[in-house]
Amino acid sequence: MRLARLWLGIVVALALVAPLLTQNSPRDPVASALAPPGPGLPLGADALGRDFLARMLFGTRLSLGLASLAAVIAIGAGGAAGFAGALFGSTADRVWLWTTNVLLSIPSLLLAMLLIAAWGPGIPAVVAAVGVGGAPVFSRVTRAVVSQLVGAGYVAAAQAAGADRLWTSLRHVLPNALPQLAPLAGTQFGWAFLGITTLTFLGLAGDPAVPEWGAMLNAGRVALVSAPRLVLTPALAISLTILSVHALSRPSETDDSNR
Amino acid sequence: MIRRSVFILPVLIVACSGRDPSPESLRYGLTLAPTGIDPHLNASVELGIPLSSVYDTLVYRDSETGEFVPGLASRWEVSADSLSYTFYLREDVRFHDGERFDAAAVRANIEYTLNPDHASQKAASMLGPLLEVEVLDPYAVALHLERPFAPLLDSLSQVYLGMASPQALATWGPGEYQFHQVGTGPFRFVEYVQDDHLTLQRNPDYGWAPEIYSSPTAQIETITFRFFEDVATRAPALETGAVDIIGELPASEVERLAALPGIGVQQVRVPGQPLQLLFNTELSPTADLRVRQALVLGVDRAAIVETVFGGYSPVASGPLAGDTFAISDQTAFPDYDPLAARELLEQAGWSGDPGSASLELRLVVPNWGSNPEVGQLVAAAWEQLGAAVTLEVAAGFGPLTQAQAEGDYHAIGMNSFGTDPDLLRPFFSSDGFFNWTGYRDPLLDQLLAEGMEASPSPERSATYSELAGLVREQWLILPIREYVNLVGVNSRVDGLRFSPQGWFPYLIDLQLRP
Amino acid sequence: MVPLLNRSSTSPVSSTTRRLLDGLLTAWAAVSLTFFALRLSAGDPVAALLSNGLTTSQQAEQLRHRLGYDLPLLQQYVHYLGRLARGDLGVSLYSGQPVTELIGSALPSTLRLAGSSLLIAFPLGAVLGGVAGWGSRPVLRRLAGTLASLATSLPVAATGVIGLLFMGRLGGADSLAPQPGLWLPATVLGWAAAGPFARAVQAGLQSTRRSPFILAARARGLRQNGRLLWHAVRPTLPAIASLLAVEVAFLFAGTVVIETVFSRPGLGRILVRSILQGDFPIAQALVGMSALFYLATQVVADSLARSADPRLRGPA
Repeated sequence: MRLARLWLGIVVALALVAPLLTQNSPRDPVASALAPPGPGLPLGADALGRDFLARMLFGTRLSLGLASLAAVIAIGAGGAAGFAGALFGSTADRVWLWTTNVLLSIPSLLLAMLLIAAWGPGIPAVVAAVGVGGAPVFSRVTRAVVSQLVGAGYVAAAQAAGADRLWTSLRHVLPNALPQLAPLAGTQFGWAFLGITTLTFLGLAGDPAVPEWGAMLNAGRVALVSAPRLVLTPALAISLTILSVHALSRPSETDDSNR
Repeated sequence: MIRRSVFILPVLIVACSGRDPSPESLRYGLTLAPTGIDPHLNASVELGIPLSSVYDTLVYRDSETGEFVPGLASRWEVSADSLSYTFYLREDVRFHDGERFDAAAVRANIEYTLNPDHASQKAASMLGPLLEVEVLDPYAVALHLERPFAPLLDSLSQVYLGMASPQALATWGPGEYQFHQVGTGPFRFVEYVQDDHLTLQRNPDYGWAPEIYSSPTAQIETITFRFFEDVATRAPALETGAVDIIGELPASEVERLAALPGIGVQQVRVPGQPLQLLFNTELSPTADLRVRQALVLGVDRAAIVETVFGGYSPVASGPLAGDTFAISDQTAFPDYDPLAARELLEQAGWSGDPGSASLELRLVVPNWGSNPEVGQLVAAAWEQLGAAVTLEVAAGFGPLTQAQAEGDYHAIGMNSFGTDPDLLRPFFSSDGFFNWTGYRDPLLDQLLAEGMEASPSPERSATYSELAGLVREQWLILPIREYVNLVGVNSRVDGLRFSPQGWFPYLIDLQLRP
Repeated sequence: MVPLLNRSSTSPVSSTTRRLLDGLLTAWAAVSLTFFALRLSAGDPVAALLSNGLTTSQQAEQLRHRLGYDLPLLQQYVHYLGRLARGDLGVSLYSGQPVTELIGSALPSTLRLAGSSLLIAFPLGAVLGGVAGWGSRPVLRRLAGTLASLATSLPVAATGVIGLLFMGRLGGADSLAPQPGLWLPATVLGWAAAGPFARAVQAGLQSTRRSPFILAARARGLRQNGRLLWHAVRPTLPAIASLLAVEVAFLFAGTVVIETVFSRPGLGRILVRSILQGDFPIAQALVGMSALFYLATQVVADSLARSADPRLRGPA
C-alpha cells in the first residue's frame, strides 16, 4: 500500500517536472542507434538514437495525462448518463438501460477499437475511444448509487413539481453520491490507463514517434535481444502504475480474520 | 495433371502442417502482404519473390555481364530502325495447366497487361510505346513499337511480364487470377491465402531452364511463404527456425544474427530508385523551390542512414541508386547544411520568429522498408528548422495511394526498383502514374523520351545524368538511402542467389542440406 | 445482463424466452451500431480502390453500383442485415477477398490460443483462489492472493513481452531453440485470465468460510476437509458462472494483444490491420461477430448461474 502511494507519487511528480529534468527532447536523435547507457544518457538511446530517459520522462506526462483525460470523459459521460437514468423518469431510465446494454455487449477494448476504426487512428481518437468505452460501466454504477440514495418518493415528487424540484433533488443527491463514487474514479483511471497503453501498443496512436509508454513498449520489440532495457523499462513502468492504482482503489482483501 | 496433384496433396499436407523442417520443404519469410499479387497488374516487389519462379520470361538478364540471354525465346532479332523485335520461341514449353506456350500466348499476355480496364500499375508502363503484337507463326512473335524503346528487353526479363497461361487469364480474369496463377516456371502456384501464406510446389515437368540458373529443375518439393510485416518478428523467426530464409532484417540485429552458428546474413544491393521522399510542388509551402531546398539541406541524410540502416546502406545521392546507372557526381545531392537551410527559409519568408506564421508540413510515408523510422528522423530534423510536422504512416499501398490522391501532403515516400533507368519515367513524366511531385516540365519529358529511345551508350548515360541534374536543381526529392536487402539464411539452405533486380531469388537453385 | 423487458409483466412468456428476446434485440442493436459507426465516417469506400489503381473510374461506378454504395444509407443498412443473415460478411476493400474467407483462415489460430488459455485459466484460477481463500498457512494464502492480484492487474502486453524476453534468455539467444509455439502465449494469457476467476473463488470462499452454516458444521467437528470445501464453494458457483462472460470479454482483448506480442496469425492481427488501413468491412464483421458471441456467452452464463443457485431463479 505504501509502495503504491510512493510509486504513484514519484510518477506524478516526474510527470509534472519532466521538462526540467532533461535538456534532450524526446523526439530528437542525440546519439547513435541503441547506444548503451553512459554519461549524459542514463538509459541509453533507443533504436533511433533518441534519449531514452527523456522519452520515459515525457512518457509519464503522456501516459498519465491521456489516461486522466479518458477517465474524465468516462466519468463525465457515464456519470451524467447514470444520473439521468436514475432521476429523469422511467422513459429516460429505459433508454439508458437499453443504450448501456448495447454498449456493454461489445467487449470494451473492441468497442474502443470500433470507435478508432470510425474516427481513424490517432491520439485524440484513442483517448475518446477509451473514454467512451469506460462510460457504460461507470454509468451503471452511478445509476445504482443514485437510485439507492433517492427513494421513489423523491423522484416522483420532483417529477410532479417539474424540473425545478428535479434540480433541487440533484443538489441533494450529489453530495451523498460523490463519496460512494469517488473511489471508483481510481478504478476508472486504472482501466483508462490500461486501455490507452494497450491501444497505443497495438499501433493505433497514429504518430509513430509519440513518447507514450505503450507505444514505446511496442517500438522496443525490434531490439528485444540487443537492448532489452527498451522493453523492460516501459513494461515495468506500466505494470507498477496499474498495480499501484488497483492497490489503492480496492479495499484490502488479503487480510484474514482470525480463525 | 489432376491425378498427380492428388498424390502430391498428402505430401503437401504433411509438409505444411508440421513445424518441423523437412528436407522437402522450405519456409521463406516475406515482409508485407501486398494488396494484390498479380505481377501483370500490381507493382509490389514482394510478389516477385515467389512468383519469379512461377513464371518464365522471354529473356533473362545475366547479373554478372548484364547481357540478355535466351529464356522462353531461344533467339531474337531487332529491326534496323529498332522498331520491331521478333522473338523465336522454344517449342517444348508447357504451362502448369498443360497448355502449350506459343506466340498466341505472348500476345494474350501482353493484351491482358495493356488492357486499360485492368489498370496495370507497372507492367504496362514497362512496355513503353508498344503498338502491336504480331503473331508471325505459332512460335514466332513480333513486337512493334511506335518509337525505339531501349528498356524493352529489360522489361521482358522481369516477372511483371512473365508468361501466364492465356486460358487461366481468360477463365479467372483480373482480380481473381491472382489466386489461381499458372505459369511455366520451375515452381507451380498452389495457393495464396491473403496475409497468411503462399505455397509453391515443384514443377516436375520443367525442362527449359535458362543458362543463368545453376540447376535444371527445382530441388525442393515445397516452398511456403509466410508474411512477417512486423519488423520485430523477423529476427526471432529466423532464430527459432520458423523460417529458413527471410529478407529485410533490421540493421540493428544483423551483427548479432550473423554471429550465431547456423545463421548467415547476405547483403544484396538492390538497383533502382533509393528510399526517398517526393515533394509536392503543387502545395504551399513546398511549392516554393527555396523551401524544398531548405528541407533537403536541413536533413542530415548520412546520420539518418547510419542510425536506421547501420553501416549497410550507402547514402543516396540522387534519383537513382549508384548500381543502376552511372551518374556523375556533379549531380549528387549536397551534404547536410543546416545554416544554409535556415537562410533559405528566411529568404522564402519563413523566419521562424515567434509571432510569425510557422511552417506547417505534412509528411506521409508507407509502413514498409523502415520508412516510418526515416520519417520520424526527417520530421525531427524539420522541426529543428522551425517547422511543425505531422507524420502519417500509411498502412499499406492502398492507404498510401489514397492519401496521395487526397493531395494533402508536402512530402510522400515512394520508390520503385529495377535495372533500367527508364523506371524514372512514371515518376517524372507529366502523365506518369507515380508523378506524385506534381512537377511537369517539357524538358523532363523530352529527356525521358530520349533516354527511352537511345540504346545503351554514353549518350544515354548523359541523358539520365542531365535528368538527375534537373531533379536536383528543382529539389524534387529527398533521397535517403540506396537499398541493401539484409537477408538472413539458415545454414541448412544452400545456393541462395538473387537476380539482377536484387529482390528476386533464384528458387530453383536452392538446396537443403539433410 | 439486466433484462430490458419489464420483469413484472404478466405475459405468459417464460423467463428464458424473454431473455433470449432481450439478447436478440441487443445483438441487433450492437450489429447496427457497428454498421452505422463505420459507414457514417468511412466516406466513399470505393475511392480507396480507385486510388489504389485497381479500378478505372468507369469500373468504380460499376463497383459502387454492384456493392450498393450508391443507394441511400438506410437501404444499404437493410441490405447489410439481409446479407448478414445469409452469412455474407462482405469483401475486403483492398483485396476483394470475402471477409468470411479471411476470418475462416485466421479463426483456428485464434481459437487454439483462446482455448488453451482457458484450459490453463480455470484450473490455475481455482487453485490460486482456493489456496488464497481456504489455505491453511497464511504465507501460502498471501502468496496465492498476490499472484491472483498481479494476474488481474498486470497488462498482458507487458507480461507477454517480458515472457518473450526471458524465454529468449533461457532458450539461449545463441542457440537455435525450437519455436516456443503455443505454450508461452497461452500461459501468459491463461495466467492473466485466471486472475478474475481466482479472485472470485477467493472472495467467495472467504465469505462463506465465516458463514453460520460452515461455522456450525465445524463446531460439530467436521474438519476443514474437502467435503466442507465443497459446501463452502457451492454458494459461490453462480458468481463464478457469470464470470464466464467476463472471461470471454477479457479473452477478446487479450488475444488481440498476445497475437501482436508473439506475432501469431489470427483475428487480432487482421482486426488491427483493418483499422490501420481503413478496411472497414473487416472491422465491422469482426466487432459485430464478437458482440454476438459475447452476448451468447452472457446468456449461457446467466442460465448456468440460474441453475446453480435456486435463489436466483425467480418467477419461472
